[in-house]
Amino acid sequence: MQSATTAPAIEVQNLSIRYGSVTAVADVSFSAAAGQQLTLLGPSGCGKTSTLRAVAGLERPTAGVIRVAGKAMYDGAAGLNIPAERRGMSMVFQSYAIWPHMTVFENVAYGLRVRKIGGADLSDKVRHALDLVKMGAYAERNASQLSGGQQQRVALARACAFSPTVLLFDEPLSNLDAKLRSEMRIELRELQRRLGVTSLYVTHDLEEALAMSDQIVVMRDGLIEQNGTPAEIYNYPRTAFVADFVGSANLVSGAVLPDRSDKDRVAIRTDDGQMLVGATHGRPFGQNATLSLRTVHLRLVSELPAGAANIWPITIRRTVFLGDVTQIHVGWGGRELIVRQTVADVFTPGQTAFLRVDPEQCILLEG
Amino acid sequence: MPRMRVPTFLTQYATMVIVIAVVAVFVLYPIFYLFQAAFDVGLPDSRPPTAYGLDNFAKLLDYQAVLVNTLVVTFAATLMALVFGFVTAWILTRTDVPMKRTFEQLMTVPYYVTPLLGALAWSFLGAPESGLINQLWRAGGGSGALVDIGTPLGIAWVMALFEGSVAYVMISAVMQSMDPSLEEASEVMGASRLKTIWRVTLPLVAPGVLGAALFVFAEMLGSFSAALVLGTPARFYVITTAIYQFVSQYPPRIPLAAAMGVSLFAVMFLMLYGYRRVVAHGHFTTVGGKAFRPRVMRMGWLRWVMFGICASYVVLSVVLPVGTLIFTSLQKLAVAFPAASNFTFDNFRQAFSINAVRSAMVNSLGLAAISASVGVALTAFLAWIIQSSRMPGRGVLEYVAMFPQAVPRLVFAFGMMWAWLVIPLPVYGTFWILLIAYLTVFMPLGLRTISGVLLQLDKSLDECGQVCGASWTHRLRTITAPLLRPGLVAAWLLIFVASVRELGASILLMGPDSKVMTPAIVEAWFSSSSELTAAMALIQTAVIAAVMVLFHRLTRRLAVHGV
Amino acid sequence: MTKSSHVTRRTVITSGLATAAVPLAAALPQSAIAQERKVTKVLDFTTAADIAKAEAEGEFLFYSHDSEPGIASILDAFSKDFPKIKGKYVRAQNGALFSRTIAERSAGRYTADVIQFSEPSTALDFQKRSGYSRYVSPQSEFYRPEHLSNPVGDFFWIAVTFAGISYNADKVKPEDAPKNWPDVLKPIWQNAANVKQSSSGMQFVQWYELRKLYGEKFWADFAKLRPRGFDSRAQLFDRLAKGDDKICVLAEYAGYLLQKQKGSNIEFVAPPDGMPAAPLVCGIADRAPHPEAARLFMDWQMSLRGQANQQDNPYLYYGSLRKDAPPMPGGKRLSDFKLLAPTDMDAFMATRPAFNKEWNAMLGL
Repeated sequence: MQSATTAPAIEVQNLSIRYGSVTAVADVSFSAAAGQQLTLLGPSGCGKTSTLRAVAGLERPTAGVIRVAGKAMYDGAAGLNIPAERRGMSMVFQSYAIWPHMTVFENVAYGLRVRKIGGADLSDKVRHALDLVKMGAYAERNASQLSGGQQQRVALARACAFSPTVLLFDEPLSNLDAKLRSEMRIELRELQRRLGVTSLYVTHDLEEALAMSDQIVVMRDGLIEQNGTPAEIYNYPRTAFVADFVGSANLVSGAVLPDRSDKDRVAIRTDDGQMLVGATHGRPFGQNATLSLRTVHLRLVSELPAGAANIWPITIRRTVFLGDVTQIHVGWGGRELIVRQTVADVFTPGQTAFLRVDPEQCILLEG
Repeated sequence: MPRMRVPTFLTQYATMVIVIAVVAVFVLYPIFYLFQAAFDVGLPDSRPPTAYGLDNFAKLLDYQAVLVNTLVVTFAATLMALVFGFVTAWILTRTDVPMKRTFEQLMTVPYYVTPLLGALAWSFLGAPESGLINQLWRAGGGSGALVDIGTPLGIAWVMALFEGSVAYVMISAVMQSMDPSLEEASEVMGASRLKTIWRVTLPLVAPGVLGAALFVFAEMLGSFSAALVLGTPARFYVITTAIYQFVSQYPPRIPLAAAMGVSLFAVMFLMLYGYRRVVAHGHFTTVGGKAFRPRVMRMGWLRWVMFGICASYVVLSVVLPVGTLIFTSLQKLAVAFPAASNFTFDNFRQAFSINAVRSAMVNSLGLAAISASVGVALTAFLAWIIQSSRMPGRGVLEYVAMFPQAVPRLVFAFGMMWAWLVIPLPVYGTFWILLIAYLTVFMPLGLRTISGVLLQLDKSLDECGQVCGASWTHRLRTITAPLLRPGLVAAWLLIFVASVRELGASILLMGPDSKVMTPAIVEAWFSSSSELTAAMALIQTAVIAAVMVLFHRLTRRLAVHGV
Repeated sequence: MTKSSHVTRRTVITSGLATAAVPLAAALPQSAIAQERKVTKVLDFTTAADIAKAEAEGEFLFYSHDSEPGIASILDAFSKDFPKIKGKYVRAQNGALFSRTIAERSAGRYTADVIQFSEPSTALDFQKRSGYSRYVSPQSEFYRPEHLSNPVGDFFWIAVTFAGISYNADKVKPEDAPKNWPDVLKPIWQNAANVKQSSSGMQFVQWYELRKLYGEKFWADFAKLRPRGFDSRAQLFDRLAKGDDKICVLAEYAGYLLQKQKGSNIEFVAPPDGMPAAPLVCGIADRAPHPEAARLFMDWQMSLRGQANQQDNPYLYYGSLRKDAPPMPGGKRLSDFKLLAPTDMDAFMATRPAFNKEWNAMLGL
């Protein structure tokens, strides 16, 4: 039980959202600590946006509890649902929602005016917010004349203008081009740090989530797949879905060899006879197990390396040049594995080589 | 400790019930009386009816000619309107015809030249004996009449020219909603332009065109002006003019008129039902989704042929009728080759002195302004409930509010006349009943327009306001209203013009204190010379045109301010 | 508007005016009628209306069958004499006017002040339904008893209109021109004849009278010509003048005069067998909202001024029945024409349904 002083900034318990016969969010619980960014990550339709909008007050959940800074915003059992306009949070929309009939200044000032702030105080806050996003020079410009990136900054300024403690982001960068996106990621992160706000961030972009978040909640079909830090999620995926969604992974299943396995290590034999040793990461295993091998953790060498575990001869099937990495498809036993490496070793199709992987980097998946 | 909150669901539910009830009363009440009169086989002149039965419908069989006439004229008019609409929409959206923008604006003018005016003008042009065209024909050596506007084809022609301008707007929207890359794919595969049109374009626009056809057919069924002016003198009756005749006769045959009204209503209802199924899958907006920029085909020298086609439509529907009216109104006795002594301004002098013109004009403009303003507010409110709120029962409300579309205006007014006669409120014969009639009858028009605008309004703009802490009224004032303004202005204008040009409903409900322009012109035509009527019609057109120009000036300034 | 002196040559039949004799009860001498009202003289006529009250009422509503320009000119002339009283009108063809008024009254609405019908049986019907309010005008002494209601005070015969045949001289060869009623049955008039609709009072009279003269077959034969029916004489003459129709079978003399003034080449024929005539009947409605104004208007209508207006106004050009009325424009008096009108009102009214049915069918509805 947490006391009021260390209460999480955002707390969601057993949230479920149903539209008629469609369940958007089944049973979701998570909490974000103050000053942190928690990202809801997942493919479209996984329920992340619905969850965000429920926290904002724009959707009415079916059941559960939502608390912000210890105060209940929604409580299904008690019949409590505070409308969005009284929750005191701030939101950046995917489409920016910049009001085209107002100037940039007026857009940013909107929330302040609603709070009856006026005069010099108002213009100070607005200018401050605009400077934060480097849009100070555009204050008197008509908002409909801005480019996409500029609108996004204004949306950000508007969200920050009245100094909220909680910021909600609904895929704010998805409409920008790749270069701009990576720049804005960093800026956003800086901004949050500086303001000390708690952020609930929704995206389907993996890189974004990994780069910006303190905590990632991976969602699929209305349920949480995994909840952890970026490193945790990347290095120790819980399920096959997470393994393949967060980075690229090869999934290898096989029968457990109990005499070679213990509480830290698990050894499996695949159907075509390959033996593989992996780390359990404290997870239980039964008769069969699936291991996740990240493509970037697999190593190809032309000569037989030293070592005992996880070394196999393979045949090169195909190489694909992707710029920063080269993707190599290898035949391993009866199936294909994908290797990604930055080293521009030249492998030609048909060539034989050796594949090795550190057992610590073969992660046992749950379930 | 969380506070207990009274669920707003119940209050919303109650509000919805009230709103639906109010709208339903205005919409369905006249229909009820229509049906009551249609099944009345009891003593004449006694209300409520003393006996009910199907006799009136049996009597309809005696008037098969009228029913057949109606169908013939409606089919012909719909076909012609579709041809006009399709050809002009094609030319203006898909080809590089010169002066495209000018034509696009001119294409809406026939809508403002009321069908009554058009019918009057074409009667002056095409009457078999006295029509100007025929006079010229005979002077040029022809015999008999080149054109007889009093035939079903003639009536359909006039209907299609003026009431079919809607077809152009709808088909043009359909053309613009077609993705051009679909045609590009066909041409890349090697198909010729013609083949592409035949196998790709036409099948793609077919559903939309079919929808437009159904809609136009429904509108034509209720058409009144052309048949009144052109058909009645030739003893050619359609259902609407027959109803009017029955009501004005002595003694009036109300139950028979009601039975005819019901049969017309049934057909129209079916048509609109079909329309909704085909086009909108239950929704009433005609176009959904993105508007593309369609590919423009280079036509070479054919451009000028296209130009000629568009120009002749404008000439036939605007220039020729207005010119004829001017020509006619300036003569003592209108002939094709007047002597100099035949010209006079007397008709205009007289027109201005007749009470009916002066007060009717002021009444019309005032009433139109009020109906437009109240109508816009009302339909905006309804549109918001139907589209943006989450109140239960929205679908029912939409259905009820759009119901008047399925009733021909004259029939609806007949029901209203019959209904409000027994209400002790001093509504019958005054402005109020006209106002109520206009508001009810134009509700679908306003709802369609404003819903279209609301659809384009990004929901997140309002949600953002919510999250910023603004209450519903604050958001309405600062976000929704300013963004809706262009749409609201457009709806206002549409309802304004529709009120001024309205004939079928007004002619039955007009009272001595509440004379309005278009029916007043018809009344004048019944009891005075055609030259005088022409003068009155021109005065009406000039006044409307002046108001429209003024309005466009004003709203253009509003639009400049960054809305 | 200048007076028309353009009267065509035609044979003038000098017989007495055969007017309908309203079944007389004992005609009470005027003085014996109890007059509780004070009679004053205003302008050049006497009235028993309270003028001050009338002006306080400020307006009245006139229901009439006449043409709009015609009604408007009557009300204009009245308001020139009494500027403080504004007259408004409702115009409808006789039958439509009657049914509308009855419908309103049966629903409890009483909006009309003065009502004018275009022939007597409609007025009698209205009287039977207690539609009139009784007011004995001091002007009544200027009218013969047969031209007033029985009992006096419900309505009076405000004017007489009569109709012959008119044809377009451009379209009709002189040898084909009709000379008497049976000539309108000739096949050359197929699709080229016009008449009024069944709601017209005048038309009812013509149907009745010619049926009496020539038998029921007359109209059956006429129906074969597929004539066209219209609402007002202005329309009939408009079409005649423009050549859309060749003959007008219900050609009111008043309408002919007006159209001729405009320079149309049309001719008027007064058939030797007589011309159907309909008196126009005017009275104050029961429960009129503006009773004093209505009474003043009635007195004005009955006075020499009002009657002169009925005769001289080109939209009216009717004949007056006032004993001391001046000649009509052109110098003729009503007594100069042979006129036909129903004498047995009850028999006349009884044929109304038959007329409606036959006439509507003849015109296509």
